[in-house]
Amino acid sequence: MSESEKKNAGPASLEVPEIPASDGPDAQRRSFLGTIAARLSLILLGSVMLVATASLVAYFALQVTLNYQSRMADVDMPNIVDSVQIARQSTNLVNGAFRIISAQTRQEHRVEVAAVEQGRDALEDIIEELDSRSELDEYTQQIRLLLADLSAHLASIRDSAFRRLQIGETLTLLTAELAEINRGIESDLAQAIDDQGFYLVEGLRDLDASPVPLEVRASEGEFTVYRNLTVVNQQANLAVLLLDEMLVLNDRQFLPPIEERFFSALGNAQRAYSNLPAFAQLVTLGASLEQLERVGTGNQGIVELRREALLRQEQEQDSLVMARDASALLDAEISNLGALISGNALASSEAARESAANGIFLLFTINLVSAIGALIFGYFFVWKSLARRLTALSGAMREMSRGDLEVAVDVGGNDEVTDMAEALEKFREYALEVQRLNLVEKLAQELDAKNESLEATLKKLEKAQQQIIAEEKLASLGQLAAGIAHEIKNPLNFIGNFSEIAMEFGKEIEELLGEIEESDARDDIREITEDLGKSLNKIRDHSKRADNIVRSMLEHSRGGEGEWRETDLNATLKQYVELAYHSMRALNTGFNMDLATDLDPDIGPLEVVPQDISRVFLNLATNACQALDDKRKKEEGFEPVIAISSRKLENEAEFVLRDNGPGIPKQIRDRIFEPFFTTKEGTKGTGLGLSLTTDILVRHGGSISVDSEEGKFTEMRIRLPLQSARKSEEAAQREHE
Amino acid sequence: MSRRKRYAAPARILFLAALPCFPAALPAADEPVILFGQSAALTGPTSELGTGMKLGLDAAFNEINANGGIHGYQLRLTSLDDGYEPEAAIVNTRRLIEEEQVFALIGPVGTPTSTAAQPIATEAGVPYIGAFTGAEFLRDAEALPNVINVRASYFQETEEMAARLSEDLGFDTVSIFYQDDSYGRAGLAGLRRAVDIYGMEIGAEVSYPRNTDAVKLALLDLRRAGAEAVVIIGAYQPASTMIRWARKLDYSPYFVNISFIGSEALARTLGEDGEGVYVTQVVPFPEDASLPVVAEYQAALRRIDSGATPSFVSFEGYLAGRLAVEGLRLAGPEPTREGFLRSLKTSGEIDLSGFSLTYGMNDNQGSDRVYLTVIDENGDFASVNAIEPR
Repeated sequence: MSESEKKNAGPASLEVPEIPASDGPDAQRRSFLGTIAARLSLILLGSVMLVATASLVAYFALQVTLNYQSRMADVDMPNIVDSVQIARQSTNLVNGAFRIISAQTRQEHRVEVAAVEQGRDALEDIIEELDSRSELDEYTQQIRLLLADLSAHLASIRDSAFRRLQIGETLTLLTAELAEINRGIESDLAQAIDDQGFYLVEGLRDLDASPVPLEVRASEGEFTVYRNLTVVNQQANLAVLLLDEMLVLNDRQFLPPIEERFFSALGNAQRAYSNLPAFAQLVTLGASLEQLERVGTGNQGIVELRREALLRQEQEQDSLVMARDASALLDAEISNLGALISGNALASSEAARESAANGIFLLFTINLVSAIGALIFGYFFVWKSLARRLTALSGAMREMSRGDLEVAVDVGGNDEVTDMAEALEKFREYALEVQRLNLVEKLAQELDAKNESLEATLKKLEKAQQQIIAEEKLASLGQLAAGIAHEIKNPLNFIGNFSEIAMEFGKEIEELLGEIEESDARDDIREITEDLGKSLNKIRDHSKRADNIVRSMLEHSRGGEGEWRETDLNATLKQYVELAYHSMRALNTGFNMDLATDLDPDIGPLEVVPQDISRVFLNLATNACQALDDKRKKEEGFEPVIAISSRKLENEAEFVLRDNGPGIPKQIRDRIFEPFFTTKEGTKGTGLGLSLTTDILVRHGGSISVDSEEGKFTEMRIRLPLQSARKSEEAAQREHE
Repeated sequence: MSRRKRYAAPARILFLAALPCFPAALPAADEPVILFGQSAALTGPTSELGTGMKLGLDAAFNEINANGGIHGYQLRLTSLDDGYEPEAAIVNTRRLIEEEQVFALIGPVGTPTSTAAQPIATEAGVPYIGAFTGAEFLRDAEALPNVINVRASYFQETEEMAARLSEDLGFDTVSIFYQDDSYGRAGLAGLRRAVDIYGMEIGAEVSYPRNTDAVKLALLDLRRAGAEAVVIIGAYQPASTMIRWARKLDYSPYFVNISFIGSEALARTLGEDGEGVYVTQVVPFPEDASLPVVAEYQAALRRIDSGATPSFVSFEGYLAGRLAVEGLRLAGPEPTREGFLRSLKTSGEIDLSGFSLTYGMNDNQGSDRVYLTVIDENGDFASVNAIEPR
């Protein structure tokens, strides 16, 4: 019955049961707090409040941490940075002072002074900032004092170094001047000494003049001139060398003795010069000696400037040492400050950490309480009161959907789930009623169907019974025939034998008649004898046919006596087809045919009764040969062919014998396996060949089938099991026993 | 190829429009220029040498510029005065290389100045061509890849002197009068080597202070030693003073001067006392126009100064200028300093119209020839092959 029929059938054939009127769950009888909605709302509210509390705790904890952090960032860290900066700057200042002292040019001096002053200003700014940021007056006051001290030293170094540079520049000029003076003195004196020396020897001062006599020129005065010239030369050279030495001297203590020697050398030179006679007092030489004195010991001369420079250098070194001391004190003070600031920073950092730790602890506690609350709530409310009952409810609904309407729905409690359960219970009761009504109709229909089936079975049984009876009849007929045939065999032999003897008698009568004189009677006897001979012939032929039939019947009944043996059926098939062909040729010399073979060697030997299977093959081959011969006689140019083939199937072997003979008409094709059915005329067939074949194959557990087309071909198909039927039989028998 | 293309960084191509003070024939304003720099004594006692070299260089550059330049370039010379002072030579050389960005330095004068200037040029890789000195240190081709010399060395000159005195006069002793500085000492070293070669000895060894005329006591020393042959390594002024006083004293040894003396100035200051004073030269006789290069030199000299007379110094300057032109010609249309130097050193014999110079990778001195000249009774120079015995 289809789905739609069901739907239609139900309401049509059933009365709708009365649905009990229900008011549903009584909403009035429980308090507001009893409902799931209210409870869930309460729980949600609780959760929100917990979250809010946690947030507030986190906020306050973070706020406190942030306050400390920002104190770190805004005050402590900058303080640390500043204190480091102060330390660095103060070191820079001292290094700068050293660089000022070492400056070689005004440019360098200016750059270094600017750097140092900038550094000092920066230092003051940093201290200013430090003061404004935090209450560190006690320290910064001290730092300021030390810085002022340092600045004073730096200023003194700066001024002194500047003056020293000025001196250096003047000294450079003086050095160049000194070199010039020296060249002048050397040149003048070289010439003068050369001239005076030559004059002393040759008495000649000019190329044009005549020589002065020896007594004139070899005077004490001329020699004194020569001597004084050499003294000036020596002492002036010495004075220049001493000034050169002063220029490179670095130790102020050695200055006075060199100065003393310079005075002495210069004095000697000047004295010697002033002792020269007027003609020998070269103007340039005198001027050079005066210049030498001025450059050496004059106001702002090399001696004075060099002394001042060396003095300043020493003082600057002292100032530098003092600046270093001040810087060291400053460093110590800054270290104190740094320690204080670091302490503050550490305190801030500690407070921030503590606050953060407190916040973390509070948050953890709140979370723990929340988690425990959630577990308790989950167990008692969600699991016990809600989920389990909902599971029961859904279970009941699933049962109902499967058709089991027998279990009552009850989840207990008093809330929305209870309402649903009660509603479902109502529905179940209704459905149960409907189900009962449907069942009655279904049973009636099933009864009808069974009746019909029983009738059909009865008819089949009747038919089978008839078949069995027919088969039984046929079987007993066969046995009967076998018995009769045996009994008939002797009479038939008699008939045959005696008909032969009677025909011999007929011949003798004819011979005897030849000896008798001609007469009408003799002619009549002769005619009768001839007729008699013909009759006897017929008797003999038909007795022979009857004998054949009987022998076939005997063979039929004698089946199943042969021995089972493994046999190569491919070879057997081919052998018997060839035998049939040769038999045919023996009878009929005009017969010829082609034999095509396609045999599957995989089949291998099968266990059969070889003589029975040989008979089957011979029967089929003989039939084919006869059919081909018939067709050959009717059709000119017909070329008879028999094709045999075999094939291994899954559990069977198949042998096919095909001829291109006249085929079997459709209407008799079903009958050819019946006993005594034959198409062969006269005494040629017994009608038992194919019947016998069928029997043999059945006994081997095989089968035979035919395929044919009239005028074209006939194909006989034999199948035999690969496993011998006898073994199967025996196995079955053993099992049975 | 554009002619405006620069030939080598950082050397500069100048345009004449921007430098109107160029003394010789003006090339077309848009033609590229290759600039050479010279630091030499243009003032002071050695000024005749510096100005003479400059004159010769100008003559050579003017000659090539008038013929269309070399590879389309016009050549220009910037000369700065160093007064024969090493310090000034250093300042000038730096300025020429760094500010003027000259292609090459050419025609510097003097040993002390070259001793100071050459290291700067070598460090900067700037060619240092045709220095008017025979000092041996400039002949170290491997150490100084940028130096190209034209003239024979002082060693070769002193060797020629020794050869003449030994072979022509049969002397076995030679005395020396030298300036007390690196130039004089270079000559002394050369002479010491030379006398060894000829199995001679140095007799009196006397000197005078640089830049003075104080030579008379030295002269007395020479006479006292009985020097018959005196090699003079000095400046023309003190040398001529000494020779004139020697004449005055009737002391007449053979005086043989080295080329650096400044031949014409010596002859002029000696006047009639100059007769028979020998001077070795490193360039052919500039009056002998039978040599094509001398004829060309005389023509080029007249072209820039009709009143100028040929001199050994300006001829040497001219030859240095001609060598520079030849180097540029060999270096091809886009000359680089390296290419210029390489061309000179790898081109085999360079023939300057009959005066041939030969360089190699280990030979930076073009000529090995030393010529002997003598001042005649007219105060003029004559070329001789031997010293005539009196």
